Amino acid sequence: MAEKRITLRATRYDPDKDAAPRLQSYDIPFSDDSMVVLDALNYIKSHVDGSLSYRWSCRMGICGSCGMMVNGTPKLTCSAFLRDYWPGAVTVQPLNNFPIIRDLVIDMEDFMHKLKSVKPWIIRKQELPLGAGEHRQTTAQIEEFKQFSQCINCMLCYSACPVYGLNNEFLGPAAIALARRYNLDSRDEGLTKRLPVIADSEGVWECSFVGECSVVCPKGVDPAKAIQQTKLDTTLRFTLPYGNRD
Amino acid sequence: MPSTWWTRNRRYFLYVVREFTALPMALWLLWLLYDIKSAGNGAANFQPPRSVPFIAFSAVCFIFATYHSYTFLKLAGVIIHLRVLDKTVPPRLIVLTMFGLWALATIVIGAVLIGFAR
Repeated sequence: MAEKRITLRATRYDPDKDAAPRLQSYDIPFSDDSMVVLDALNYIKSHVDGSLSYRWSCRMGICGSCGMMVNGTPKLTCSAFLRDYWPGAVTVQPLNNFPIIRDLVIDMEDFMHKLKSVKPWIIRKQELPLGAGEHRQTTAQIEEFKQFSQCINCMLCYSACPVYGLNNEFLGPAAIALARRYNLDSRDEGLTKRLPVIADSEGVWECSFVGECSVVCPKGVDPAKAIQQTKLDTTLRFTLPYGNRD
Repeated sequence: MPSTWWTRNRRYFLYVVREFTALPMALWLLWLLYDIKSAGNGAANFQPPRSVPFIAFSAVCFIFATYHSYTFLKLAGVIIHLRVLDKTVPPRLIVLTMFGLWALATIVIGAVLIGFAR
């Protein structure tokens, strides 16, 4: 019986040699149904062409490193099964809306800068000594922010967002979802420190609610929800008496 | 970003349709403002537009307005986060309430307009 094979087309781009990115085809064995796109890339790297560059780490949908465009859709390549594409070809390209460094590797500097700007950590007005005990939370308080804390910074949402594609000054879905995650945390007191960034014209108000960020999120986070709820919160904060209290 | 980005998938396309519906509605509302101003000159001088193209345009605007309102209210469950008696109100209930209020407002406004017309 003939060995099952699949065609994978991957973006190749060497900024020192190529004027523009191009696609290169590889015909590789599709040995078992559990193979994912990342396995195919690793096969190419190990057996066909060691110069192919791409990011990956955990292979378990946790680290968020292996996000790429798979047949035009932003996906974690470790969770994109070849069986869902076979016998058709699979086209793997770098994430949309980001500059390409080489092959399938994008420049994530802009995202890292935006992520840091929303201060995605717990801010306290006054830190208590460790001996004062833990900050206790009820289950309901955890549920308030839990889904937003599932974000793995894979940037698929930025790649799916046409608003970010058209204006990369936009703070973007993941950064706002993480800002909301901390703003909703009962232990946090940093809302007023994050507001100048998230309530800015390039913050939540730049979003026109396409909603694709929530569709492509591999962890079930709903950044579109975080953004719209933040719009409502900041509006109420601005208009209601005592709304701007800390 | 290519100018054809909105043809990449169905959801992008529906988003652009949703946003586009605001444009004809804005034009129709501009006409309404003009007509209200004309009506201020007295009933004798007021001539409401009755041409077939205008009625067709109004019908299209009505469909667009309905679609825009539907998409907006459908998202209310995502946007509004309410807690009553320490429990989160289900998004579905919020959406149903929004559509109920929409229907009620339509009936009230319709009744008022018909009442004035008589």
